[in-house]
Amino acid sequence: MRSADSLGTRWTMRGLILALMTLAVTLIPALAARADDPDRAFSGRFLLVDMNGRTVSDETYAGKVRLVSFGYTYCPDICPTTLNTLSAALDQLGADKDKVATLFISIDPERDTPAHLKEYLASFPGITGLSGTPEQVAAAARNLKARYQKQPAENGDPAAYSMDHSSSILILDRAGNFLARMPHASAPDRLVERVRGYLQPKAIEGRP
Amino acid sequence: MTRRALLIALGLAAGGALLGLPAQAATKTTQGLIIHDAPRPVPEIDIRDGDGKPAGLDGLKGRAVLLNLWASWCMPCVAELPALDRLKPVAAAKDIEVVALSLDRGGKVTAVNTFARLGIKALDIRTDEARAAAEKLGVSVLPVSLLLDRQGREVARYVGAADWEGAVAARLLEAVAAGRPLTRDMEPPQVRPTTAP
Repeated sequence: MRSADSLGTRWTMRGLILALMTLAVTLIPALAARADDPDRAFSGRFLLVDMNGRTVSDETYAGKVRLVSFGYTYCPDICPTTLNTLSAALDQLGADKDKVATLFISIDPERDTPAHLKEYLASFPGITGLSGTPEQVAAAARNLKARYQKQPAENGDPAAYSMDHSSSILILDRAGNFLARMPHASAPDRLVERVRGYLQPKAIEGRP
Repeated sequence: MTRRALLIALGLAAGGALLGLPAQAATKTTQGLIIHDAPRPVPEIDIRDGDGKPAGLDGLKGRAVLLNLWASWCMPCVAELPALDRLKPVAAAKDIEVVALSLDRGGKVTAVNTFARLGIKALDIRTDEARAAAEKLGVSVLPVSLLLDRQGREVARYVGAADWEGAVAARLLEAVAAGRPLTRDMEPPQVRPTTAP
């Protein structure tokens, strides 16, 4: 953008301000609509492939409260400890963990094959890895209002790309409806407290 | 001036909208050296050695410590371990202890297997017995290395894998050991693994 000084007259500046305001007014709502469209309903529906190569859907986990996180196993420089947190929460849940399905959806199906997911998740017992075709993953992310974006590697290596992705942990009820969105750095105790609350028969359900 | 500020603000808003970046792009985790304004106390962590015996930080009182947190499932962590292994005897000569604490839920076995695979010689097996270190230390990404002064207080932390063997890291570690204030020019370059270790 050229600096205001180089434009000279007040007239030109007013014109520019007007043009930019018009641009902003047009574009900002467009961004908001794409990012968090309140009219676009949250849906817990998905059709994916689990780490055993089995086709699964949200109905596979019917009757269980779901803890859902997104990510990928290839972290080039730093790795979030989200799965560690989820494992610690499962430990704390004790017998109640059978009432919970903990799902890790890979948004990098290109590299995270079911076999690779299974090997990786051996470090996190009780967490089920899900992936699928790029279209299936995109549809699941759209329904669950998660976002991700491929970032090419700085060194230009086409296989070393990284993925920016939503990092929060979703809690869905036994039918897949939205209950809560927790920050990825939530303490396991906080997760357990919320999940236990939702496991109670008279849990008050939140909205997305 | 006000007009220019407005123009810049509008320009930025329009630019962000055009790029349509996910929220993370704007709020990426800080990487590299984070120097604390004041030394922070380190909560007690139940660290165990290869025999399952307590090997907590209190046993290192009076010495500066580089406390690295790693896990076998974290590729950049595993890639950093050989450099920390080489650093350990060099740092020991400067009175700095290098501790590599495994956060693996598999405990000792996973750490032993990873060390064997990498041919680790100097680093000792250290595990997070209560599986609470990440939470207690406020760590949400790995690898991370905490720099503790001789009083056992955290003076800085490095998020990501660092070039621990370079001249810059040497200056940083010497300053920690000497209790001198840390400065930005002591930030070692970040290392990104090129191949899976």
